[in-house]
Amino acid sequence: MPAALNNPVNQLVLAILLGTAGLYLLLPRPKRRSVALGSFLAIAAVAVFGHFINTAFGSPLNHVVGDILFWLFSAVALLFGTILVTQRNPARGAIAFAFVILSTCGLFLLLAAPFLMAATVIIYAGAIIVTFLFVLMLSHQAGPSDENDRTREPLLGSLAGFAFVGLICFTLLQSSGEAQAVLPQPPLTAEDKEILGKVRADFDKALANDGIDEVRQAAFSGRDQLANVVGPGSGSSRKSVTDRLKLMAYDPRSAVMLKQTDNLRTLNTNMEDAILDAQGDVAAMKLAIRPVRDQVVIYSGNGQLPARNVANIGYILYSEHILTVELAGTLLLVATIGAVAIAQRRKGSAA
Amino acid sequence: MISLWHFLAVGAALFGLGMVGFLTRRNMITMFLSAEMMLQGVVLNLLAFGRYHGDLSGQVVALFVITVAACEAGLALALFLTLYRHRKTLDADVWQNVRETGVPPTVDTEPLRPEPLGEPMPILPVAGRKPTTPAEETVRA
Repeated sequence: MPAALNNPVNQLVLAILLGTAGLYLLLPRPKRRSVALGSFLAIAAVAVFGHFINTAFGSPLNHVVGDILFWLFSAVALLFGTILVTQRNPARGAIAFAFVILSTCGLFLLLAAPFLMAATVIIYAGAIIVTFLFVLMLSHQAGPSDENDRTREPLLGSLAGFAFVGLICFTLLQSSGEAQAVLPQPPLTAEDKEILGKVRADFDKALANDGIDEVRQAAFSGRDQLANVVGPGSGSSRKSVTDRLKLMAYDPRSAVMLKQTDNLRTLNTNMEDAILDAQGDVAAMKLAIRPVRDQVVIYSGNGQLPARNVANIGYILYSEHILTVELAGTLLLVATIGAVAIAQRRKGSAA
Repeated sequence: MISLWHFLAVGAALFGLGMVGFLTRRNMITMFLSAEMMLQGVVLNLLAFGRYHGDLSGQVVALFVITVAACEAGLALALFLTLYRHRKTLDADVWQNVRETGVPPTVDTEPLRPEPLGEPMPILPVAGRKPTTPAEETVRA
């Protein structure tokens, strides 16, 4: 892009020129007008104008994109959900259900669950096609029918559903005030994370060096800084993570993290002793430093979802939730047997 | 800024819509789809909590819910097939005789509105002859 375009005034002028030309070409007149060129110029004008806003007033898009996507996906999901519930024709209901699934999958992506998004699309695509087959096979209606044109207790049913939603939202409203103050405050603050980053750098430096003094110095520097996070700090007035965790004792995750913090503090002290005992044996020092360094890396990832979604879901599935996997497998097997048993034709029954 | 509460509200709304569909509709396939929509609302809740606690367990449980939904789909469709073989309809209300004892049966009083007559279907004329309008079509017009 030429340098002249980085100036907001030039961008504004260009946008206005493009917009004028585009609209001029698009306006109807007796002679031939060029719709294609006009639309192209108009779109270019919008793009340049967006760029102008970006450079002149700063990017508004930090939250806007996520917000717009959220509203879009939830509106589409609810709209097509309503269509599914109110549509007479079950085949059209299945189409509407497909759109509900697609937009909830968009919401899954916003919630940092790409694997589940893909899995849901794949599984429900199959489910919807099978539903379609069933509609074609079983529901060959000509004209109005009892099942599609009548509803059971429409007033009471809708009242029940919406009263339920109202209750849930009322509960959310009641709890949002106090809970909102807790949730976005992770036990590890940004300052903690910065310190942990320095600790890790120190330990890495110690592991990379071979001189006794350098290793010892880097390791002790890391040790002191780590003590500032997990305690006992060196006379500073900072609250350690442990104190903060004790304040939010009602959070079930805080127990796990408390244990992690204690573990890390013990490791930190042990490492100091090991280094002092090593008496110049660099290899022994490094042996003591490495586990602490690894624990620091794990510890500093607290409070956020890991980046490699699929790999981490696989890991957690086969380590913490192995029983769930077994149960799911058993359930699928039992359901398959049950479906076969239910659907098979028995002798003597109506053909 | 979108918070956890936004996602919870959308999940609740999806669940409620599905509940209305499940309670009121009589076509078993539509009821089944509504139940699936309720499950989607639940999964949305799980993922939102997982996201805001920085914990993958929510996604694992969501995966489990999807497995349960798949089982449910298999069983439900097998059940539809069997029920359809008995009564030749997908209407859930023909199975009222299995209702609780002491509860009066629901009777449809309002008659169904007949379909309005559409445009008469086009008829292929014999090639090489001028098409004539059939008698019933003239009557209808």
